[in-house]
Amino acid sequence: MATFATSRAAVMGSARPGRVAGPRRCVVTRASAMMAATGRTHYEVLGAGAGASRVEIKAAYRRLARKVHPDAAGGGGDEGFIQLHAAYATLADPDERARYDRDVACRAAGMMMRRAAATSGPAFRRRTWETDKCW
Amino acid sequence: MAEQFYTVASDSETTGDDKAQQSFPDVAIGIDIGTSRCSVAIWNGHQVELLKNTRSQKGMRSYVMFKDDTLSAGVTGGATKEHAHEERDILSGSAIFNMKRLIGRMDTDEVVQASKTLPFLVQTLGIGVRPFIAALVNNMWRSTTPEEVLAIFLLELKALVEMHLKHPVRNAVLTIPVAFSRFQQTRIERACAMAGLHVLRLMPEPTAVALLYAQQQQQLMQDNMGSGIEKIALIFNIGAGYCDVAVSATAGGVSQIRALAGCTVGGEDILQNVMRHLLPDYDSLCDNAGPTTDRIKSMGLLRMATQDAIHKLASQESTEINADLGNGLKVSKLLSRAEFEQVNQAIFEKCERIIKQCLSDAKLTPEDINDVILVGGCSRIPKIRSLVLGLCKKGDSYGSIDDLEAAVSGAALEGAIASGVTDPSGSLDLLTIQATPMNLGIRADGDGFAAIIPRNTAVPARRDMLFTTTQDNQAEALIAVYEGEGEQAEENHLLGYFKITGIPPAPKGAVEISVCMDIDAGNVLRVFAGVVKPQGEATPPFMEVRMPTLDDGHGWCGQALAKMYGSKLDLAVLPKKLHP
Repeated sequence: MATFATSRAAVMGSARPGRVAGPRRCVVTRASAMMAATGRTHYEVLGAGAGASRVEIKAAYRRLARKVHPDAAGGGGDEGFIQLHAAYATLADPDERARYDRDVACRAAGMMMRRAAATSGPAFRRRTWETDKCW
Repeated sequence: MAEQFYTVASDSETTGDDKAQQSFPDVAIGIDIGTSRCSVAIWNGHQVELLKNTRSQKGMRSYVMFKDDTLSAGVTGGATKEHAHEERDILSGSAIFNMKRLIGRMDTDEVVQASKTLPFLVQTLGIGVRPFIAALVNNMWRSTTPEEVLAIFLLELKALVEMHLKHPVRNAVLTIPVAFSRFQQTRIERACAMAGLHVLRLMPEPTAVALLYAQQQQQLMQDNMGSGIEKIALIFNIGAGYCDVAVSATAGGVSQIRALAGCTVGGEDILQNVMRHLLPDYDSLCDNAGPTTDRIKSMGLLRMATQDAIHKLASQESTEINADLGNGLKVSKLLSRAEFEQVNQAIFEKCERIIKQCLSDAKLTPEDINDVILVGGCSRIPKIRSLVLGLCKKGDSYGSIDDLEAAVSGAALEGAIASGVTDPSGSLDLLTIQATPMNLGIRADGDGFAAIIPRNTAVPARRDMLFTTTQDNQAEALIAVYEGEGEQAEENHLLGYFKITGIPPAPKGAVEISVCMDIDAGNVLRVFAGVVKPQGEATPPFMEVRMPTLDDGHGWCGQALAKMYGSKLDLAVLPKKLHP
C-alpha cells in the first residue's frame, strides 16, 4: 500500500492529476507518460538514432524484444516490454512519429524552465507531452 | 512423488544422453482440441513429433462414449479392434461430441441453440444458465457437462502421451479459437485441471501456426543466408467449429501478431445448412417427433450421408446422395457444388468479413502479404480456398505447412520454448508477441461499453482510463468488466464486476475514477480501480481484481444488476477534452 501512497503523491503534485494514478503496476501507464517516468526517449529505449529508418526501428524492436519480453530467455517483468512496445508503436507509425518528434522538440525548449522549477519546488512535477502546451 | 517417477523413467531408458533425459520431463506437450478432431504433439529433443493412437491416427475423433459404467474417449476409440467405435455408434446418442462449441456457453447462446440438432440431449431453458447436456445410456439420459467430457478426453490423451514418453506429463500448451471468451478459457483450464494437466499457455490457433511459420523462416534464413526482411503472413484457419484469422509479421525468429479475428463458424454450420437443404423438415425431425432412438438414428444417418457428400464436393463438381433414414424417410438428391456454395453463402461472407477486418486492423493491404497460410479441415473446401486467396490477391497458398498438423505443432513448439528448452541448432530460438483478440473494457455512459484495452494490443499490455460519477454525492460505483466487439455493454461477454465504495461526496462529474487494465505475459487479466480525485484521508484504497470473477458465466447477471441498481452506480467516461 505504500506504493499507492507514493504514486498518488506524485499525481497530486502534477499539473493534471489522475492519469498516472493507481497501484504500482499502473504508475507507468501511457506511452507519453513513460518518458517522464523513466527519463528515456522512445529513441533511447530502442537504441536508435533520431534519423533511424522504419526498417531500423523494426529491427531494433525485434532485437530488444528478444531480450526484454517476459517469454524470452532471461527476459524481465512486463514493464520493459510495455515500454519497448510503446516506443516502437510510436516510432513505426509515420504520423505518430512526426507528432512525437514535434513534442520532443517542444519539450527541449521547455526543459530548462522545468528543471529549475523541479529543483526549487519540493513537488515533483510529472507532465505529459500532449498537455504541455509550450507555445 | 513426482521425482520418484522421473527416476523410474530415466532408469528404464538407459541409452540417450543424460542431459536430454533430465530436462525432458518438464517439457510441456502441445494439444490441439478440435471441435471434430484432436491431436497431440511433443518436442522430442530435436523436433516436434505428433503422436499416434493405437489405431495409428494422428487426428483423433473428439468425443466421449458413455456406455453402462464405462466411459471411453475418441483417443483410443473403443480400445480394441472388436470394440472400435464406428461413426454410427458415435452418432447413436451415447456419445457426446462438439464439446468445444458448447463449453462455457449459456443456454441463450445461438451456438447452443443450434447444437440442439446434435444426436444427444442439449436442453435449454433460455434464461442464461448453462445448458443441460446428456448422453443416452440404456435408454436413460445421463447428464454431463462439456468440461467433464473434455476432461475425460484429455485424461485419455494424457495417458497416451505418458505411455509414449514413459514418464508423467504435467504441463500443456493448448490451442484455442480466437473467438473464445476469457470465460471459455477458464472452462478449458478447469477441464485440464480435472484431467491433471496444468495449462502453461492457451494459444489462439492461428498464432500457433504463425510460430511454426516463424521457425521455418528462421531455418530458411540460416540455410541460404536469406535477407532477414520482415515477412507478412495471413493465416486463415477454419475447422469444424470455429474460424480464425491472424496477420503476423515475422523476422529474425520473432513472430509479431499484428491482428487477430475470429468467429464461431465452421464445418458444423456448413453441415447443418446442407442437412436442412437436403431435408426441408429437418428441424421437425430434431424436435422430439417420434421415438427418441429412431429419431436419433435418422439424424445420425443424415449426418453421415451429408458429411460424405461435403467431402466429395471438395474434389467433384457434384455428388449424389441416397440415404434411407428409416421410418419411410428417404433423401435422394444430386447436389452440385454451385448449390452447396449457394446454401452456405452466409458462412463464406462471414469468413470474408473477418479477413477484411483483420487486414484493416493490421493496417495492411493485400499487396503487403508475403504468404497466405490455409489450415483446418474446412480450408480444403474449394470455395473457401479461392475466397481467401482472392482477398489476399495470391495465386496459391504457402505450401510448407500441413493444414491439419500445423496448430498442434506450433503448440508443441511453444510448449518447449515456454518450458525453457533450448536447441543447439537454434530452432527454438523463437518469440511470439501475442495480441489481444477482443476489446476489454467496462460498462459506462448508460449501457455503453468503454474499451480500455482495444483489440490487437500487444501483450503484455497495460492501459487506463478515467471515469466519473453520474449522480450528485454518488458514494459507490459499479465496475462491470466486459470483453467483446459490441458497442453496447450487454452485447459483450461479462467477465465480472465489483463496487468501488466510499467515494467522497461531490457533485456529479467532479470525481475522477481511474480504471486500469493489465494483461501479463501469461495472459492473466487484472483490473485496478479507485478514486484519484479528490484525494484525502477518506479516499478508499484501490481495488485489484483478477478477471474473470464469474465462476459460471451467468448470462443474466448484467440484467440482474441493472434491475437491482438501475443507474445509481453508473459511471461515465470523463470527456476527452479535459484529458487528451
